[in-house]
Order: sequence, then C-alpha cells, then structure tokens
Amino acid sequence: MFLALRDLRRGVRRFLLLGVVIALVAVLSTVLSALATGLVTDGISGLRALPFDRLALQEGAEATFSRSTLRGDALDRFEGVDGVEATPLGASFVNAASTSGGPNLDLALFGVAPDSFLVTRDDARGALSGEPGLVLASELEDQGVSVGDRYAISGSDLVLPVLGFTFAGTYGHAPIAFTSLDTWQQINFGGDPDERFSAVALSGGSDDDLAGPASEAGVELYTKSEAYAGSPGFTAETTTMTLIQGFLLVISAVVIGAFLTVLTVQRTRQIGLLKAMGASTSYIARDALGQMAILVSVATLCGVALGAVLVTIVGSGDVPVELNPTGTLGVAVSMIVVGLIGSAAALPRIVKVDPVIALGVEQ
Amino acid sequence: MTVPARRSEATRGAGSPVLAIDRVRVAYPDGPDTRVILDDVDLSVTAGELVVLTGPSGAGKSTLLTVAGLLRRPDSGEVTVAGTPTAGLSQRQRTKVRRDHVAFVYQSANLLPSLTAIEQLELVGHIHGEKASGTTARARSLLERVDLAGRADQLPVELSGGERQRVGIARALMASPSLLIADEPTASLDPERAGAVVELISEVTRSEGLATIVVAHDAWAEMHVDRRLHLDRGRLSEVGPPAGAAAQRA
Ligand SMILES: Nc1ncnc2c1ncn2[C@@H]1O[C@H](COP(=O)(O)OP(=O)(O)OP(=O)(O)O)[C@@H](O)[C@H]1O
Ligand SMILES: [Mg+2]
Repeated sequence: MFLALRDLRRGVRRFLLLGVVIALVAVLSTVLSALATGLVTDGISGLRALPFDRLALQEGAEATFSRSTLRGDALDRFEGVDGVEATPLGASFVNAASTSGGPNLDLALFGVAPDSFLVTRDDARGALSGEPGLVLASELEDQGVSVGDRYAISGSDLVLPVLGFTFAGTYGHAPIAFTSLDTWQQINFGGDPDERFSAVALSGGSDDDLAGPASEAGVELYTKSEAYAGSPGFTAETTTMTLIQGFLLVISAVVIGAFLTVLTVQRTRQIGLLKAMGASTSYIARDALGQMAILVSVATLCGVALGAVLVTIVGSGDVPVELNPTGTLGVAVSMIVVGLIGSAAALPRIVKVDPVIALGVEQ
Repeated sequence: MTVPARRSEATRGAGSPVLAIDRVRVAYPDGPDTRVILDDVDLSVTAGELVVLTGPSGAGKSTLLTVAGLLRRPDSGEVTVAGTPTAGLSQRQRTKVRRDHVAFVYQSANLLPSLTAIEQLELVGHIHGEKASGTTARARSLLERVDLAGRADQLPVELSGGERQRVGIARALMASPSLLIADEPTASLDPERAGAVVELISEVTRSEGLATIVVAHDAWAEMHVDRRLHLDRGRLSEVGPPAGAAAQRA
C-alpha cells in the first residue's frame, strides 16, 4: 500500500466527504445498536435474569405465557429426569392499584414456589414463604413504592402488601413482580385454586434428555432466548431494529462502492501507468482496497466513538439505550466488511484498464 | 557516476539484440475497412544503441512503441525482448517480462501526483518487490544522477516541466531496464530543457548499456544517435547515421 497511504495523506480533502458520511452512518448504527440493546433490556431483562435454562410451555403457545396453561402432570414428567430441576412458573400481566396513595402499577407478575431455584435471594424466599404479598423489581422503589404499601390486584379481590424488593427487571416493558405460586393461582383462577400454572422452568439437562418427557407431556421446549419472543413487542422491535441496521449497511456499501468506482475512473490513466510499470492487477487492487479499508476503518472508529459518547449522554435520560460492547464491535466490524464488499464493485474497472493508455495513444 | 546494474552482463552484450521485432503487423478498423498501421515491420536494437524514430503524425510511431514495450499485442509477428519471444506468452507473463526489462519515458512525464520525486522512484522498487532500505539508497543516487538531489521531497506540482521529465527518466532507470522506450520525451519542453533531456537519455543509454528507442522531432536533429528510422505508411526505413557518427562512436 505504498501508493495508497501517501495518496490518503496528501489528498485528505478528497477523502474527507466520504469519511464524514461513513462516520455519520457509524454514529447512527451505534446509536441504533444501543437502542436495540436498550429495548431488549427494557423488554425482557426480568425474564433474562431468572436462573432457568429452558421453559416448557403448552403446545402451540409460541413462547407466550398467556397462551399456555399446564398442570402438575407436566411437571411430574420432568422431575424424574436425572440432573434436571423443574419448577412451575406462573406468569401474567396485572394492574395493581395502590390503596395507600402510591402510584398505580402495571406489573409482569410471576408466581413462583418460594423454595424453588427461581428464587435466589434469601430475603425474597423468606418474604414469599410467609403471608401473601408482592416482591417488586427494585426500580419501583425509586418510583416511590415502599414496603408495606398495599395494592388491589385487578381481576381479583385480593389486596396484597409489598413485602420487599428484588433485582431490577422487566417483561413486556412492565416491571416484574413476584408472588408465591398459590397467590398467583388465586389471582388468576379465583377461589378455585386449581394446580394450574403457565410454564415449567427447567434448569440443567440437554435437549436429548428433555425431548422425551416434553413430548409425553405435550409441551414445547424453549431456550431462554427463544422465550423472549413471547414478550409483547419483542419480536416487532428486534426485527425493526435489525432491518434498519441492515439498510444502513447496504447504504454504506453502495456509497463506498460508488465512491471507489468514481475514483477508479478518475485514476484510469494512473492505473494504466502502474500497469505499464509492471504492476500486476492484484498489486493495484490491493492498493485500492487497502486504501478504502483504512479510510472506512478510521471513519467507522471515529463514528462509533462519537456514537458511544452520544449514547452515554442520551442514556442518562429516559431513552432506553444501552451500550453493548459486543453489539458495538459488531457494528464496527460489519461496517468495515461491508465497506470492502462495496469497494469490490470497482475491481472490474481496475482489471479493464489497458496499459496502452500510459503512452497516451488512445485518448 | 554509474549506478550499479543488477542485470547480468550477458543480456547487455552487444551481440544479441535486446529488442527484436519480426514481421509485426498492426491494423485498426477504419469504418468498414481496416487501416494497416504497421505493415510487416522489422526492427532490432542492441544494448547501448540509441535509435531515433521519426515520421508524420498518425504514422504509427506510438503504436510501434506500445508493441515494442509489450503494452499491445501485434496482430501478427514476433516481439523478442531480452531473449524472450513474447508472442506465445500469457498476459501475466508479458507483464513480468515488461516489469523486468522495459521502462518508459513519457511525453508528459506522467508522474503520480501524490508522490514526491524520490517516492516516484521508490514505487518502482516496491512494485518490483524490493526491500525498502536498498530502494531508497538507489533512488537517491539516481536523483543525484539527474541533478535533482535537492528536489527529492517535492511533489510533481512543485517541480518544473524539465525537472518532472528528469524525474521520469530517473524513474525509468530505477527499473534497471534493458530496453528504454521514450515517446516524444521533449515535446513539451523548451529547446534548452529539451536539450538537457536529450543529453541525459543519450548518456544513460551508453553508460547503462540500454537499448533505447526514442520517438522525436527537432531536438534530436543535431544530436548524435546511432540510427535514425522513419516510419511512413506502415513501412520503416533507415535514414542513415549523420556524418561523423561512426568516428564519434569509435
Ligand atoms: N485503438 C485504436 N483504434 C483505432 N485507431 C487507432 C487506435 N490507436 C491508434 N489509432 C490510429 O492509428 C494511427 C497511428 O497512431 P499513433 O498514435 O501510433 O501515431 P503517431 O505516429 O504516434 O502519431 P503522433 O506523431 O501524432 O503521436 C492513428 O491514425 C490513430 O488514429
Ligand atoms: Mg504518438
């Protein structure tokens, strides 16, 4: 890249416009990636934080708790499997109206057996084992909810006290809340506390271990990340974000390809000269692609850095953005890769240049 | 000073020609017919020999140079460069022969705008895959040779036309060619500068033992050259050396 480096250094102005465009696309991609991560966190961080590996839901439920109702027999099938822990999980959305003047809450309410592996904190286990009540996501404490506040749960005649707070988390963009499985069943199925729940949460075991019991029980297995899809809005949000990011990548590939093509046409005579000097086509192509790689890398890194600063500033407000190192690195790498793919569009033009033009015969 | 030649003396020996063009024919389509530009042309140039080619505009002088320099394949005939017949070679092989044996000097110097004078020369070393350290030393001594040691770090826009052309000649020498091809190297220079360039080309032809073909007009009229050839209507004819050349050569 003897020529490419010197050309970049001495012709900075010619490359500035493209550099700025790439950097801006990188800024946008970084912010979008942070927004995608932020939306996921805002959507399903509560479910993600639960220490299960797989969920078993009723067949046809498509990862959606509200479409799944299981009974004890489903649980029994899994309890026999070696190395597998299984526990019932109830999940539903409820509205909780404060009877003590606090804020009303939309909650993603999980009913758990207090002594199950889903409850990891001793204080929460203790609280859920006693009188019926709610253990809430910690962010609600910041919103003015306190221990002892009482909440009337919509759709039932229960009024439950706040027993304590646990980790911050959401499901379906609603803060999570825990209650004992008994209480959850009472809220959802009223005075007839049938042994019904939404899913079996599983820990340990392999797909092979679990496939048999699952088909006997008539349930479908979901990995944790497959289960996110059941969170309202999750699929739509992630698909939209991925689509926009994909479009941005395509746009940068086209812009870079068009730029290098124009540059190659402008350099036709120079390329002819290099060929006349004995440079192989691959020497010239490496030079041109190397130059674009440097330009795109520098511009992308500047853009990503700027984007990260922007995310940090915006993230201190209410916008659900979250910088994710893997995602940000992915943005940088994919922009550079796409830049090279776009640049490759100019290669046929480099190949086509006839060294005869160096002597100026055909002009 | 003499720049150490990298090539074996064998290819430079006076006997076998560095360039041998044998019954070369080039025709261009001209409307419905074809126009024959080179009609079974023969030409051979040996090491240390300076050949000047003249002829009316459009006669095909540049075309002949592109054929000799392996930039263009003739429609028929054989071009042998430094002992290698090239008619049967692939494009890649021809490029390699050109890289190893042929260098060009152009009418407008044709320098790369983003490289300094010395980098123009270093680029040749880079294309040849040489180590950077040796390349820089050789480039520096060649610039000294064309009297431009003080201008090594100037970009082409900062050089005069004559200086650019001398950088172009130094760049050609950087390739350690056996065959030097120059197409009207003095056409865009005033007579005085042109004279200096003529002098330089003729001098390096002898000191480096190059086979040199120059397409030229006036500036070369009084110059001592080994052979003058005239191209017209597809035919090459010998003009004959000017009086006194033989004496000078001895
Ligand atoms: N690719 C081409 N296709 C068709 N005709 C061509 C092509 N290249 C050159 N010619 C024609 O061939 C003829 C010889 O061209 P060439 O450039 O070799 O002449 P020249 O002797 O160098 O002329 P000048 O002194 O003006 O430079 C010209 O008539 C030119 O128009
Ligand atoms: Mg010409």
